[in-house]
Amino acid sequence: MSRTAPPIRAEFDPCVTIPSLADLRGALRDDDWGTVEAYFEFIGHEDDRAVAAGVVDRLSTSQRFLERAVATQPRSALARTLLARRYIVIGWDIRSAYTAEHVSREQFQQFHGWLRRAEQLLIDVCAEHPAYAMAWAARLTTARGLQLGLSEVRRRYERLAEHHPHHISAQSSLLQRLCPKWGGSWEEAHAFVRTCLESAPPGSHAGRLVAEVHLERWLDDSDINPSDYLRSAEVRDEILAAAARSVQHPDYRPGFDWIGDHNTFAGALCLGGHHREAAPFFRTLGNKATESPWHHVGDKEVQFLKHRRTALAKG
Amino acid sequence: MSRTTQGLGPTTPPIRRTEVDGIRTVLTAASGPVTAGLLFRVGVADETLATTGITHLVEHLALHRHGLSDLHYNGATGVTYTLFHATGTPEEVVTYLNGVCAALRDLPLERLETEREILRTEAAGRSRRPGHQLPLWRYGAQGYGLSSYGEHGTWHLTADAVRDWAYTRFTRDNAVLWITTDTVPQGLDLTLPAGVPRPLPAPTSALPVTPAYITGGGGGVVMDGIVRRSTAASLFAEVLRRALFTDLRQKGGYSYTADADYSPRDNEFATVTAFADALPSKQDAVVGGFVDVLARLRAGSIGQAELESARAKVLKQYDTPDVTAAQLPSHALNLLTGHSNLTEHEHRAELAGVTPDDLREVARELHSTALLQVPGRGADWAGFTAAPQWSTDTPTAPGTRHPSLEDGSTLLTVAPDAVSLTTPAGQVVIRYDACAALLVHPDGGRHLTGLDGFLIRVEPTLYKGLTPDRTAVIDAAVPAAAVVRMPPRDPDGIPRPERRSRVRRTAASRLGALFGRRRG
Repeated sequence: MSRTAPPIRAEFDPCVTIPSLADLRGALRDDDWGTVEAYFEFIGHEDDRAVAAGVVDRLSTSQRFLERAVATQPRSALARTLLARRYIVIGWDIRSAYTAEHVSREQFQQFHGWLRRAEQLLIDVCAEHPAYAMAWAARLTTARGLQLGLSEVRRRYERLAEHHPHHISAQSSLLQRLCPKWGGSWEEAHAFVRTCLESAPPGSHAGRLVAEVHLERWLDDSDINPSDYLRSAEVRDEILAAAARSVQHPDYRPGFDWIGDHNTFAGALCLGGHHREAAPFFRTLGNKATESPWHHVGDKEVQFLKHRRTALAKG
Repeated sequence: MSRTTQGLGPTTPPIRRTEVDGIRTVLTAASGPVTAGLLFRVGVADETLATTGITHLVEHLALHRHGLSDLHYNGATGVTYTLFHATGTPEEVVTYLNGVCAALRDLPLERLETEREILRTEAAGRSRRPGHQLPLWRYGAQGYGLSSYGEHGTWHLTADAVRDWAYTRFTRDNAVLWITTDTVPQGLDLTLPAGVPRPLPAPTSALPVTPAYITGGGGGVVMDGIVRRSTAASLFAEVLRRALFTDLRQKGGYSYTADADYSPRDNEFATVTAFADALPSKQDAVVGGFVDVLARLRAGSIGQAELESARAKVLKQYDTPDVTAAQLPSHALNLLTGHSNLTEHEHRAELAGVTPDDLREVARELHSTALLQVPGRGADWAGFTAAPQWSTDTPTAPGTRHPSLEDGSTLLTVAPDAVSLTTPAGQVVIRYDACAALLVHPDGGRHLTGLDGFLIRVEPTLYKGLTPDRTAVIDAAVPAAAVVRMPPRDPDGIPRPERRSRVRRTAASRLGALFGRRRG
């Protein structure tokens, strides 16, 4: 096998693609709260903390582990926030990702019940630590799920942005709320993305929001058949320009988000048939994949590999 | 600082206690014209729902003879006290007070009908303050909850009832007088009947779980809570006011007005009320911001600077001339209810001793007893429990059943011991022996309000088989003291069943008009 041939499996596990996250997961499995705490302390950047928290959220054993941590350290902002985030994931799994009309009354009640538990923890954490990004970001999600209204979601984002003006996972979360599926509008969604991009320093993660908003619009359009929305040259150029200001800019700081950033750009381009333009992103990624956006269009691994093959053949 | 902080110097003349015609009196000299106030320990909380307004009627009748004059005077009926006050020359003040007492001894009851009408007109034109519904949800339709209600007494109170109220409540033993002079002015004749000092009403409860919430109101957020009376709690209200203003108006731009207030309820507890209005598109943010401000004061950090600026504001009262005179009204009120008064020295010492931890403790107490009113959706997400929407009572005896003519799923039952309204969502029951007021309309309508604040409108036009012999059961069973005989209603004011097709759309709002917990 030639040394340049890409591996035939895609790797979705963040603890493999970002090796240091494996230490975190190990600590979770070992019931070692001290190491978890030290790990989050050690990570220097809020964006990376958000990705690391995502690893904790998705582990089904986290709930008990974190409840024990909160019981022994009731003042710990980290323990309470991670537990709240786990409650949100549990609730959302019950709600399922279907649109509201496919979710039963019972599911909604349980979903809201978990979100309320999360919110109680987060209200106190934010009251005690007004600059604690992870808790404010989680409150964007609870506010969305509890349907607290757009002005409240925006207020929460503003409280977060006061201290962390370019927090990419919070921006992504607010963008979701601004899309029509959550009661927003494309005008608001695009305007928010524009504001994030314009206010961010060159090389920031914010460029990815451009690809995200176009993907959302395409998904919204692709109810029965895949839409042509992403095929337009205008959309393509906007995505490429955003990439140039972001992941392709010399000041880009990859952090833990780089894999998500590149997958999002690659996906938005491929799903519009712009495989040649997507090739550079795949070359950087190798086999490192994220669930989004591939899971939207079928089996995530099949989709990632198929589009990567086409892209690398063309570009 | 240009003055001593301990206030023991010559700047604070003492308050002198004396007695005028058997009325406890407090005096202290002040510059400028003389102000006097005659306080009685009777207010809205002492009334019943059927007699609401009786104290106000006495106040109006007592002032009637003063008519138009240049003298600055007025009367005020509060929740637990009634005040007559005037400012002018000593002679003018003496004339005023003598006139009030003469009128109280012998009310111009030939004016009763007119004054009842004046009060009804006043009530129609009065705008309700934000949060005026909170007392009825907290206390029900009795005691401190009555301040939420209109004045039912203005429809039916007789001369005998009003005379008796004045004779038993507006007595020399249930009064305190204050005057801003160093000696009692010449010529006072404040002869009043002897009586007994009336204790403050005991609080009732219609709110089983707190923190609680209700929905409604004009788009703003309002909350109250009950805390122990203390210097720290009064200081806390100032900290809360500033925090709400900073977060909701200055920082967020969600509100125009944000305010908080501390006011003693009785000798042990005070009510802290907080309010923020909301731009229509920012209502959710105001609710969220409000919840977060309270959470920060309860769980987060209260800055030393916040405490200092609140303290400075409270201390400002001592920077005015005639400090002692300015404190005379609250001093007199405490004397009236039997609550101790702090000297300036003691108050300053208490203020100086308040720490951020003390404020946090007040915030926790406030939160644990809070009743929050929010627009739109509820506040369960923030840990508040919905205030009871349905009765827990059930009638014990079977009764006649009267289906709604509008909505087949609603059933009115008239039983020998209670009226109940059953809907698919829940039941409201009003027992006759716990009926605060029964409004009797000549057209057959009967509106019952329970002591817990629930209301059922029994309308023969809206329920099947609700014949006069059925409403007669209600009339016979409700205690006479709760009955309010109303004048004939405007024909448009008598409800008519709506056509079926419209009912479905308007069922919710119509049901809201037929029962619930609202001002009667």
